[in-house]
Amino acid sequence: MTGALLTLVPASFGGAIEFIFEPQSSSVTGGNKVGGLDQVVELTLNQLELTLLALTVSMLVALPLGLYLGHRGTGELLAVGLGNAGRAIPELGLIAFMAAAIGVGWRNIVIALAVLGIPPILTNAFVGIRQVDRAPVDAARGMGMSELAILLRVELPLAIPTVMAGIRGATIAIVATATIAPLAGVLTLGDFIINRNVYGPDGLLAGAILVALLALVLEFSLAGLQRALTSKGLKVSAA
Amino acid sequence: MNAFAAALAPPLAAVGEVGEGFFKERSSDTLPCQAREGHLFCFDWAKENIGSFGTPTLQHLEIVAISVAAGFATAFALALFAHRRHWLQPPLLAATGVLYTVPSIAFFFLLLPITGLGRDSVIIALSAYTLQIIYRNTLAGLANVPDSVRDAARGMGLTERQILWRVELPLATPEIVAGLRIATVSTVAIATLAVLASGGGLGVKFYTGGNLTFLTSIVIAGAIAILMALAFDVVLLGIQRLLTPWRRAAAG
Amino acid sequence: MPSPEVTSQGSSDASAVRYERATKRYEGSAEPAVDELDLEVAAGEVCVLVGPSGCGKTTAMRLVNRTVELSAGDVKIGGSSVRERDPARLRREIGYVIQQIGLFPHRTIAENVGTVPRLLGWGRERIDARSEELLELVGLEPELAGRYPAQLSGGQQQRVGVARALAADPPVMLMDEPFGAIDPINRERLQNEFLRLQAEIRKTVLFVTHDIDEAIKMGDRIAVMRKGGQVAQYATPAELLMDPADEFVEDFVGADRALKRLALMRVADIDLWEAPLAFVGQATAEVREKLRDAEVPYPLLVDSERRPLGWLSERDLAAETVPARPDSPLGPLLDRDDVMRDALADLLQGESQYAAVTDHDGRIDGVLSVEIISEFLGSPRAKTEEHSAAERPQ
Repeated sequence: MTGALLTLVPASFGGAIEFIFEPQSSSVTGGNKVGGLDQVVELTLNQLELTLLALTVSMLVALPLGLYLGHRGTGELLAVGLGNAGRAIPELGLIAFMAAAIGVGWRNIVIALAVLGIPPILTNAFVGIRQVDRAPVDAARGMGMSELAILLRVELPLAIPTVMAGIRGATIAIVATATIAPLAGVLTLGDFIINRNVYGPDGLLAGAILVALLALVLEFSLAGLQRALTSKGLKVSAA
Repeated sequence: MNAFAAALAPPLAAVGEVGEGFFKERSSDTLPCQAREGHLFCFDWAKENIGSFGTPTLQHLEIVAISVAAGFATAFALALFAHRRHWLQPPLLAATGVLYTVPSIAFFFLLLPITGLGRDSVIIALSAYTLQIIYRNTLAGLANVPDSVRDAARGMGLTERQILWRVELPLATPEIVAGLRIATVSTVAIATLAVLASGGGLGVKFYTGGNLTFLTSIVIAGAIAILMALAFDVVLLGIQRLLTPWRRAAAG
Repeated sequence: MPSPEVTSQGSSDASAVRYERATKRYEGSAEPAVDELDLEVAAGEVCVLVGPSGCGKTTAMRLVNRTVELSAGDVKIGGSSVRERDPARLRREIGYVIQQIGLFPHRTIAENVGTVPRLLGWGRERIDARSEELLELVGLEPELAGRYPAQLSGGQQQRVGVARALAADPPVMLMDEPFGAIDPINRERLQNEFLRLQAEIRKTVLFVTHDIDEAIKMGDRIAVMRKGGQVAQYATPAELLMDPADEFVEDFVGADRALKRLALMRVADIDLWEAPLAFVGQATAEVREKLRDAEVPYPLLVDSERRPLGWLSERDLAAETVPARPDSPLGPLLDRDDVMRDALADLLQGESQYAAVTDHDGRIDGVLSVEIISEFLGSPRAKTEEHSAAERPQ
């Protein structure tokens, strides 16, 4: 039932923890020292940088478009359809395709990851604005606020929960796919997982733990950011 | 596998006639298509090797079906359990949320000490990923049943169980299936990573022997994956429509 | 309109409902929502619970089918306590109609109506027959049976709600502002139809409303409630309007209660005065003779069929015979079946002091004036003149 198994010396959590902090060497790694805090930090920072860059690009493209379309009330097919289609993009396929079509390297991986992040942000920005209660919007318009001001000062604050949910979703997707960036030449924590021949079973497990932790910390931070950005009035009414 | 090849060969051949003319000019040597920098679509290779995509596709289907089924069964049961017990809902939401946030590829290997490498780990990890969306949508669907309908049902003498199964769940079906659709489409996409955990699936056509494969293989596998996701989506939507005839009547 | 030939076959006897020091206390509230309520609703009667919002009338109603549980005291239906029954089974024997209707969106109309029969284990055929019968009873076309609630208008949905409550022929019906969510025109129609229905099937009905006019229209007896479910007055509509028990009831009924009373009666309820009749071509001497002892000091010109044509003046009577054309126009013409309040309005609008009242064929029946009405309202007979809700003008 299981596929071809790599013959591995069984990994242990203890071994993984050690791997994170101190360079290890073992028979598997052919006597080379691998791992240790320095390398871990370097790869973590790489992954963070990659994620944040891609996220920024996604947001720059998707947020204005989604907010605009939502405000105007048009383009639902595009906004929602793209969101649905985006979920179907196979992550590994995307990286592979990018590598084959336009080559490896930082810039290209950022593009690939940004492509992944655009659909959730676009859809949620659109839906979030659309779902805002019409009454405050009408009132604002009646008071003479410009369309842009209405969008930024009335609709967006009220749409924060949904918009942020989209950004969080994008972040999770991007950080998960950034894990396999080593396949395309950008070294991230995923290297421990993908190149397990180099790092050994302890490295493999350590990589898994680290990636999981990174994702959880990011998610947690964004949740906190969302709480901070959500106006008190909204929070009270949601409670 | 041969049926697969037989089905796809003719259209590919037709496209091939057109494409070949375009591509022929760009190649001048006699190396096989995929060896030449690998960034061209090789119709010849496609025609000959389409059969090799059969097994990975079936494996992929299997992984997705089992994972989503297991995930749905678990999440649905959890939601029914937490439906009336409001104090349970936040912790369950948080727990399923963690399982959703942890990237699947990491999850495959976190399970390493427990279930080892291979399909089992992949299925467990993918199921865990689907829990949150299905759980949340089921709860939301149940909560969105109008209070007046629930009041009337209770006042007429239906027991709590009867209300749940005869009134609330049928009315929650659209939202539950919506969650199921999202979960399924996502799972089809993520299951491509199974290859990295020796789990098979379409991922083998993206990455094998420690290297990414070449463009033709990637494009075909990608197309299959996307089509599979679309097919699942459409089928589930069709099932939802079948289960909810009253919504069609209302719109019509 | 319910068709005359459809009767509720096997209509069960209605049961009396009695509250015995019924109390409901909610946690965190100092005051009970319903405080030791004692109330008896006779079988086959419509009892309206009316009062300001928050007074506990809905809570009191829900104590009967245990959708709100008693904290103390008891509620008895036909002599047996509701506490002794399993709530779900109890509710299947009580008709339940709520303001937002609450039809099951995912079930057809016929399936909605058949909900309780199905719970009681009726056979398929019996349920279908009963659904058909009830839809006709509440005035819905049989084609609607296969439709879904979303395809019906608000008024139609509410009728289905009533049909659904009647399906298992329960001895008691609970109705909580059932017509509140409907527009005023349809509301009036539904109220009238329910009254016609009630005249036929005579269920015991507990009807909750915040609208005193609806209470007066629908109720055989009205319980005006104060905060805590305290009954300020429990009386028939006429008693309520004529003798409000205290200031609270008086305020709640409204300053126009005299007018409200007039809405309960028809012109036919009054003893009309007689005007001397004059026919065309009749000798005026005869007419003058009649005038001498007449109640109404003006002769009324009528045709050979005794249909009123106008009033005769002194100048008319100066001639030898009664002229064909009267000096004064007829003015407001009233019908026996007119609602008294509308008749008064017409009288006040017209210029003449008296108005002719005719019967169904247009023939003179008598004469009405404002004076006659006010005399009648003060008479002892008016105090006892009372129609059951179903027979009141609509």
